[in-house]
Amino acid sequence: MTHGLAHGPEPGEHNFDVGQLTRVEGEGSLTLRVRDGAVVEAHLGIFEAPRYFERLVVGRTPDEVIDIVARICGICPVAYQMSAVHAFEALFDVTVDPQVRALRRLFYCGEWIESHALHVYLLHAPDFLGYPSAIELARDHRAVVERALTLKRTGNALVAMLGARPIHPLTVRVGGFSRVPTRDELLALRPALDDALATAGATVDFVATLSAPEFERDPRLVALRHPDEYPTNDGRIVSNDGLDIPIGAWREAFEEDQVSWSNALQARTHAGEVYLLGPSARVTLNADRLHPLAQQALARLGMAERIRRNPYWSIAARAVELVHATAEAIDIIAGYARPDRPFVDWQSRPGATGWATEAPRGLLFHRYEIDERGLIAAAQIVPPTSQNQAAIEADLTAFAPSVLDLPHAEATLRLEQLIRSYDPCISCATHFLDLRLEETDR
Amino acid sequence: MTTPAPTLVRLLVCGNVDRCDDGAAIWAAHELLADATAEYGLELDVHQCGQLDVVQVLDLGSGVPLVIIDCATGVDAGEVVTLPLDDLLAHPRGPSPHSSHALPIDQVLGVARQLSEAPIDGLFVGVGGADFGFGRTFSTPVRKALPAFIAAITAAIERLAGQPVPVGA
Repeated sequence: MTHGLAHGPEPGEHNFDVGQLTRVEGEGSLTLRVRDGAVVEAHLGIFEAPRYFERLVVGRTPDEVIDIVARICGICPVAYQMSAVHAFEALFDVTVDPQVRALRRLFYCGEWIESHALHVYLLHAPDFLGYPSAIELARDHRAVVERALTLKRTGNALVAMLGARPIHPLTVRVGGFSRVPTRDELLALRPALDDALATAGATVDFVATLSAPEFERDPRLVALRHPDEYPTNDGRIVSNDGLDIPIGAWREAFEEDQVSWSNALQARTHAGEVYLLGPSARVTLNADRLHPLAQQALARLGMAERIRRNPYWSIAARAVELVHATAEAIDIIAGYARPDRPFVDWQSRPGATGWATEAPRGLLFHRYEIDERGLIAAAQIVPPTSQNQAAIEADLTAFAPSVLDLPHAEATLRLEQLIRSYDPCISCATHFLDLRLEETDR
Repeated sequence: MTTPAPTLVRLLVCGNVDRCDDGAAIWAAHELLADATAEYGLELDVHQCGQLDVVQVLDLGSGVPLVIIDCATGVDAGEVVTLPLDDLLAHPRGPSPHSSHALPIDQVLGVARQLSEAPIDGLFVGVGGADFGFGRTFSTPVRKALPAFIAAITAAIERLAGQPVPVGA
């Protein structure tokens, strides 16, 4: 294990610090140490005090856990609730009403729309268009930013309809929801969703006009895959190199490890290999499961291979998923009939259970052990960003040499853009990102 | 003789009550609002915002003076700062709310200004935070600063309303 930052540069090395990395969800730091034109270390550091959620939930009931884990993240609370509730329901052998299942997918659609709209337009697009922030983008491209707000409002409305509020929703419980909307309540969202679908289509067209730095690699991609659906809450954990395991069996293939430069655990395969989750992985592994309108959008873009190989084109994957999420939301609402009861009864039983769902940023795995009293005895929560951390470091190591001859500010910007491509949610993994380059011998 | 309409000031309360010092503005707002204000000719339009968002700012409508309150980083723990929103936009690396998952406050306001038909203006009042971990306790510097924080919020409202705020804090 290397502790490069604890020492000054070695002979032949020099360092440069880049300060804060902005437009990343959360706070942390990146340090690159470069020697003779080669990156010798790439560390994505996360400094916030370690998150104690895995301990906070011990001694709590499953329904309490669902409320607690929603607080892990302000932008993907639905994901945390879904992974937890499905884990409990798997152990308790609960089968929810099909309409409740559909509502949970709708819930996820809302979260994806909120999250992807924010990232595509306000966090990532400024990089592609050469603006330092969304303010300048809004000044020159008002319509672009207004599209973001149209989508975000719709995502917020969906989450608020199902969860009683747009952030940290309240209604998810084991067996279903504490309340489900009427058909008329959902139909009232239809006009906004129609607008959002058109806007999502415009987003795909917008993305098609962008150009990204050349950077290709052949990453190991991991996502859920379902026999019939684009994955959100169900399926099997698969990869593009042949992994195919049950949804609760994450630990059969992966493990977490502590590294010195980060408060968040990093995940790798048991063989120590890095892997990438998120929209690019989902689109690559599940293109045939996208909503037909999203499949058309992906075909129109003609970027499937670039989405797989170049991380900058994750923006295209998000745009395609915006089409998918809005189109699926419309379909779910069209087929909705309010269930007789919002939840089914359940009985606790002791044992261990795990489940993964697809958060906006990728696979989110939860594992719980429940004791004879029906209380949590142990918990493991593995967010997508902590799983992506090692892959981000590997990509930075591969990419950095190509920008070292650029002026410092431009090289920094390129590296920042690369990190933003993964939409890291460091608050989930823990909280804040600050970029530091230690450049040697240039 | 008609009674003049109450002056409207919009108070946007940011932060997370579960994140120690990040809940300071929420606590301060509760204390501040213990006494009604409307009958004194001032109408406070109060919104709890969590992390301030462009959609939220625009949907609330513009043209009403804003007082945005939050816990902040970039200043000493316990230091209370009052900044015109113009200054906040001009110095984006200055005091900023310590939270994530959205644009920083200067960009939220900057984007909202670009898209809004009417002016978005007012004051930011912040207290420097030290502990943003989980829990509902305040760090010692923030706890000691709470009376000054409330006083600064009151002063900001008075400044925008052009009249005293009859609050108990």
